[in-house]
Amino acid sequence: MSTPAISIEHLRKCYGDLVAVDDLTLQIERGEFFGLLGPNGAGKTTTINTVVGLVKPTSGHIFVHGLDALRDYRRVHRLIGIAHQEIILDGQFLNAREILLYQAGYFGIPPRRAKPRADELLERFGLWEKRSARVRELSGGQKRRLLLAKALMHDPEILILDEPTAGADVELRLQLWEMLQSFHRQGKTILLTTHYLEEAERLCERVVILHEGRLRALGAPAELRRSHHRERLEDVFLELVRGEQE
Amino acid sequence: MIGFLTLLKREIVRFLKDALDTIVPPTVGVILFMLIFGLALGARLGEVDGVPYIQFVMPGLILISVIRNSFMNPAYSLFQSRWEGNIADFLVSPLSHTQIALAIILGGVLRGLIVGALVLCAALFLTDLPFAQPVLLFIYALAVSVGFAGLGCIVGLWTKGWEGVNTVNTFVLDPLVMLGGVFYSLEMVRGVPIIEPLTALNPLTYITEGFRQTVLGGSEAQMLTGLGLTLALGAICVGAALVLFRVGYHLKA
Ligand SMILES: Nc1ncnc2c1ncn2[C@@H]1O[C@H](COP(=O)(O)OP(=O)(O)OP(=O)(O)O)[C@@H](O)[C@H]1O
Ligand SMILES: [Mg+2]
Repeated sequence: MSTPAISIEHLRKCYGDLVAVDDLTLQIERGEFFGLLGPNGAGKTTTINTVVGLVKPTSGHIFVHGLDALRDYRRVHRLIGIAHQEIILDGQFLNAREILLYQAGYFGIPPRRAKPRADELLERFGLWEKRSARVRELSGGQKRRLLLAKALMHDPEILILDEPTAGADVELRLQLWEMLQSFHRQGKTILLTTHYLEEAERLCERVVILHEGRLRALGAPAELRRSHHRERLEDVFLELVRGEQE
Repeated sequence: MIGFLTLLKREIVRFLKDALDTIVPPTVGVILFMLIFGLALGARLGEVDGVPYIQFVMPGLILISVIRNSFMNPAYSLFQSRWEGNIADFLVSPLSHTQIALAIILGGVLRGLIVGALVLCAALFLTDLPFAQPVLLFIYALAVSVGFAGLGCIVGLWTKGWEGVNTVNTFVLDPLVMLGGVFYSLEMVRGVPIIEPLTALNPLTYITEGFRQTVLGGSEAQMLTGLGLTLALGAICVGAALVLFRVGYHLKA
């Protein structure tokens, strides 16, 4: 049996007195489309960032394809493509296409393979016209597209997307859904955070609902609705997040 | 290796694309010093250590350029990447922490050596320099720039704002350089209160003196002392920068 795509074991992260993630244990199987849900401040981004080494866990372990995410970070990073929640682009002196080419370079992809890949992704994300544009000349949605293209540059095994549809127009959202599903069909793993529960329900095979750093529910969206006797995932979510009295 | 070279290229492109801000001003600034101290005042100062003052001061001015630019590039580049957040691009890539640090340091080294070389060319228009020990001179300049690029790396990680870099510039780099035997030799300030002890305590005095000897000729012992000191201090700075990267100081929450 193959090891899980991502295995989080008793993860805890404190910022001073604040417990951002509290004893989180979670396994995401290979090839799974997984949703990480929870209100603002629940600990979603913190969890994701510990997987890619941007946040140091206070305690606990993370394994990616069986590799220790801390000790074996270089091999782990090779497997993961991430699009952060914040739009972070190295745009002070690089244009859109250069940003993708440098990204490929950091992942060890030689220019002769990176160039066609970058052009394909620019095309696919409707950025071809903007390939020579500086980041400050892109609209918010266009930056989001570039961020997604960047995450895909090295054709990762695991795609981690932190609120990829925030600020996306209808077209980008539909296109992204389609693209994620095709990525999923290739047997790759997707970890997605979103505040749109119908999006989570449509896409994700399983979701976890986090609240105040703790795991409140885990399962397939339909299963969660059934076990909580709710019609909509949104109602399950609100019940868990607002407390029992609802 | 492709990853490392890509990051190194980024660091180089960063300052080359902005050469009007990163290469030209420091070069012009030092050339002004050369004109003032070398030509204007130099004639009145006569000989120092048996050479005309303009020759005496040139090696130190070249070294200052190397020091400043090697320091500034990593400090600003690293802080800028932290500030903009794009440092995450390097940190989530398969690059090792050591590779990231070394690429940033090497970027600073190249800028330091480029400006140093330009200043050296300018110096040749104003006076003759014998270049007594060209190989040692180059190794020396390289060692100095690696060390100060390491220091720049530390400052780029440490600082919480742009002002931090300037603070280090004003309170550390400027005093080190000004009291570091560039404009005068230790012999010239014997018996001068405050200045003599500060100059004598300043490691840069010996580093500058040794470097000057590689350019003008002189005692090999002094060259090697200065070089040894440079290598020792440089190793500490680079080592500290690597350790800070490895523990994720101001890089990871
Ligand atoms: N660097 C940090 N220093 C201190 N506290 C932090 C830091 N990063 C996050 N936090 C805190 O940790 C908690 C979890 O934050 P996190 O960003 O993981 O939430 P999130 O679930 O991603 O929320 P959102 O939906 O708003 O993106 C929050 O209370 C936040 O204030
Ligand atoms: Mg978040």
